[in-house]
Amino acid sequence: MTSQTQLLDRPLPAEIDTVADLEAYLNAALRLEHATIPPYLTALYSLHPGTNSDARHVIRVVAVEEMLHLTLVANVMNAIGRRVDLTADDFVPAYPAHLPSGETDFLVSVQPFSPAAVTTFLNIERPAKAPSEGRRLLPYSDDLGAGTVLAASPLNPGVRFYSIGEFYAEIDRGLRHLDHEYRQRGEELFSGDPAWQVTEEYFYSGGGEVVPVTDLASALRALTLIAEQGEGLGGGIYDGEGELSHYYRFEQIQLARYYQKGDVAARPSGPRLDVDFSAVYPVAIDTELADYPAGTPAFEAAETFSRTYADFLAYLTAAYHGQPHQLLDAVAWMFRLRDDMNRLIRNPFPGRPGVHASPVFGRGPLERS
Amino acid sequence: MIFPEGASARTSPAAVAGRVYDVVIVGAGIAGAVIADRLSREGRSVLVLEAAPAEDLTIKGYEAYLTDFYAAASKDNQSPYPVIEPVPMPRSTDARPIRPGGPNTNGYLVQNGPHSTDTTYTRVLGGTTMHWEGKILRMLPQDFELAEQRGQGPKWPLGYADLEPFYREAEREIGVSADIEDQRYLGLTYPPNYVFPMRGLPPSYLDQMVARGVDGTRVELDGEEFSLKVRPFPQGRNGIPNPAYDAGRGFVPVGAVSTSQVDEGERCQGNNNCVPLCPVQAKYHAGKTLAKALDRNVDLLAQSVAYQVHTDPETGRVTQIEYRHYHDPNSAEYQTGFARGRTYVLATNAIENARLMLASGLQSRSDLVGRNLMDHAYLLTWALLPEIAGTMRGTNCTSGIVDLRGGRFRRDQASFSIDIHNDGWGWPTGAPVSDLVRIVDQNTYGFDLRRSLVDQVSRQLLFAHMIEVLAEPENRVTVDPRYRDRLGNMRPVISFRVPDYTMRGAAFARRLSRQLFERLGAQDHTSYDPSEYGYVEFEGEGYRILGGNHLAGTHIMGTSPGTSVVDDNQRSWEHENLYLVGGGSMPTIGTANTTVTATALCLRTARHLLHELRHQDQPVALATH
Repeated sequence: MTSQTQLLDRPLPAEIDTVADLEAYLNAALRLEHATIPPYLTALYSLHPGTNSDARHVIRVVAVEEMLHLTLVANVMNAIGRRVDLTADDFVPAYPAHLPSGETDFLVSVQPFSPAAVTTFLNIERPAKAPSEGRRLLPYSDDLGAGTVLAASPLNPGVRFYSIGEFYAEIDRGLRHLDHEYRQRGEELFSGDPAWQVTEEYFYSGGGEVVPVTDLASALRALTLIAEQGEGLGGGIYDGEGELSHYYRFEQIQLARYYQKGDVAARPSGPRLDVDFSAVYPVAIDTELADYPAGTPAFEAAETFSRTYADFLAYLTAAYHGQPHQLLDAVAWMFRLRDDMNRLIRNPFPGRPGVHASPVFGRGPLERS
Repeated sequence: MIFPEGASARTSPAAVAGRVYDVVIVGAGIAGAVIADRLSREGRSVLVLEAAPAEDLTIKGYEAYLTDFYAAASKDNQSPYPVIEPVPMPRSTDARPIRPGGPNTNGYLVQNGPHSTDTTYTRVLGGTTMHWEGKILRMLPQDFELAEQRGQGPKWPLGYADLEPFYREAEREIGVSADIEDQRYLGLTYPPNYVFPMRGLPPSYLDQMVARGVDGTRVELDGEEFSLKVRPFPQGRNGIPNPAYDAGRGFVPVGAVSTSQVDEGERCQGNNNCVPLCPVQAKYHAGKTLAKALDRNVDLLAQSVAYQVHTDPETGRVTQIEYRHYHDPNSAEYQTGFARGRTYVLATNAIENARLMLASGLQSRSDLVGRNLMDHAYLLTWALLPEIAGTMRGTNCTSGIVDLRGGRFRRDQASFSIDIHNDGWGWPTGAPVSDLVRIVDQNTYGFDLRRSLVDQVSRQLLFAHMIEVLAEPENRVTVDPRYRDRLGNMRPVISFRVPDYTMRGAAFARRLSRQLFERLGAQDHTSYDPSEYGYVEFEGEGYRILGGNHLAGTHIMGTSPGTSVVDDNQRSWEHENLYLVGGGSMPTIGTANTTVTATALCLRTARHLLHELRHQDQPVALATH
């Protein structure tokens, strides 16, 4: 170890010291998990129907598992007796949003399926560990534009984590710390109503099972599942449940071949995977409602979708607020969102030749819009 | 579920010619698949001959079927599947009234009449589970004792209690969703603490509307009183796993099949085009079982249509199966091949099993092969409900009325169950397309068109009465060298008359549906056109009887060679290493869709075959005197 790194490796002030800190972090985690869903869904539905079956299934599974991650964070939040709210004005990020990738960050856009989109997806899911304790939190400049900075410290403006993994490591540390502190005081950190927990009865994704959170062990398990599904287990390509992790699922698209059991990273040996980047609707990138000429059918469709999406977030908020059975109807919601999104994606953007309309992901409940 | 890559092309006619398998199975539908699976589990070598082309099962291949289905103008059960010359299949759209003076040779089935049926089966990898409804009704205990209790139908050599463990095994294999408390009626029993693998799927809104009007209706029949109740059907579709299943071990649903990891289909999404093809493979198809089997010592030889079963004239034992292998699905050119095994299983379905036996000249001494052809008789009645009922939502059929499946009346007339169809009048009238055309013709467009289409279609109520048909020797499959397919195989010739016993049940069902429509305030729109196929006159009234695709009875099982073709293990009485399996072995079909019973019988046969093969493998004890 050089003297320089020693200098940098000064112990980090513990970020999470109170339940309020933890709540702030979990809120940031909910935003982070949700932030990937609009880009994944847009890329998914930008594929021409009847084409790109391989890519479609890869993206779909990851999108569904991101919803699982959202649910897992919600379970942790409910377990500590704090409230999940997906309807806050700043809940849906402003795109392009910033995500960390080590020393530098990268931009996440709502965009059509393309090689660039796949690269972004790989960046989102890429495993990254800070080279030293001192590099876990990094300052970022405040002239990044309007885009939301994700995986930033919710307590310390101007600082963001080295990676999503490091962001979750902080929550992990905070949970252990607070649980210990509560126990010493003879109190219970996990005092939320267990009936509010979403169980596998109410949420299913193709792969991982939802973890009901009632204590420290289950909370850590929920967070571990989030990390493993993204990055794999202990450097392997599969997670603890034998599911291919997201990073390697996307890498299959780049390598044009499927992984199968027994494979090692970067050397998939399964069946061929075909991608046709031309069979994609060229949807506009990172649109706002204001981009659509008022009075056009495209504007109306964008407004409708935006409202439906905001309603969906309000609906999820209610489900996470003690009504987990409501998640069963999320299937019907997903069909509705798909249909509303297709109405945009399959139509031209008014006044922009060669560009298709694109969904605008609304925030806040219906009453406010 | 991972399909082993390359398994569909692992063998060839040349490689097959050089091998003797433990078992040669003809047909890769659910019957052949479960037997192949169970035998291969114990290390037995199996060859499955399949008539249709077969590539590795992939999600892409499945989606190609879906795309064709979506694009097809006619949405009949076969519409997802390509029509190929060497392997024709019956299609409901081929059915025509039979004119005097000769059979209807229009479709693949040669129809002698007098009844003209639109029954179908699907000749693709996975068989008819590639279009089935996935309704999983066990037969009632009394269905196995109809002869003893009511003097009707041939006797079964086994009873409900004998088959019960195999029903459970079939329910695991298929992956059945149902709540056990809904499925205890008319003597249906289960072991203590049994639950289905997955919880019941939700009844449709339409079901709930109908229940409000129908529940508690009293019906008197043959001196017995029945109280009607709308009840959910068990489904071969993935639902929420029941944690109490398997003594608390739970159940893991089997989703879509592909050569790579695809996490889809582990829950039903309620798609209305569930029949013929579930968009996400949440509905069981035999490919899910084949994928497991082909990962073991099982060879699949596709594009190989069984042509003749060869036997030793001295012993009656089957010596080989001659098949015609075609290279090009668009050509009738073929090469002849032979498959040899220690035992042979015909698992092609009731019509094709009989056809192959008869084409091979293997009529039994009892003259029963091909006779006693059964299929459920479907009588449809339809009406318009007074308010919007959400028709066209949910899978095709989630609930029904099953109270008249059993009773004393069965000494005189057929039992039936009533399906409530979530797809409206689609079956009899072609809704919603026919409604669309009619409304457009009224010069309605835009919002008004959408509004009136919803108003019309969402109020449609269809009752499909699934009526029992008993074995009648004259209802039969035969072959005739004048009628052959392009590969030279003799086509099935069907003679069928709807028995009066069934028609008495149909007449009762028609009267009952009038009564139920009245209770629901629904306007009866039922009409039967005498010029259409399926029209039957009975006691001065006209009806239309449609096919149920529940084929059975052409090689019924029994206790002696004089009265049956196979024994209770589905083993041919006259060819000791030959098994004729599936619905064809059933002496009665009651009012249960046949698949789960046929599958239970096949699982029982698989256990017997394993025992037989082990027994044959034992060293022969030489006499020591």
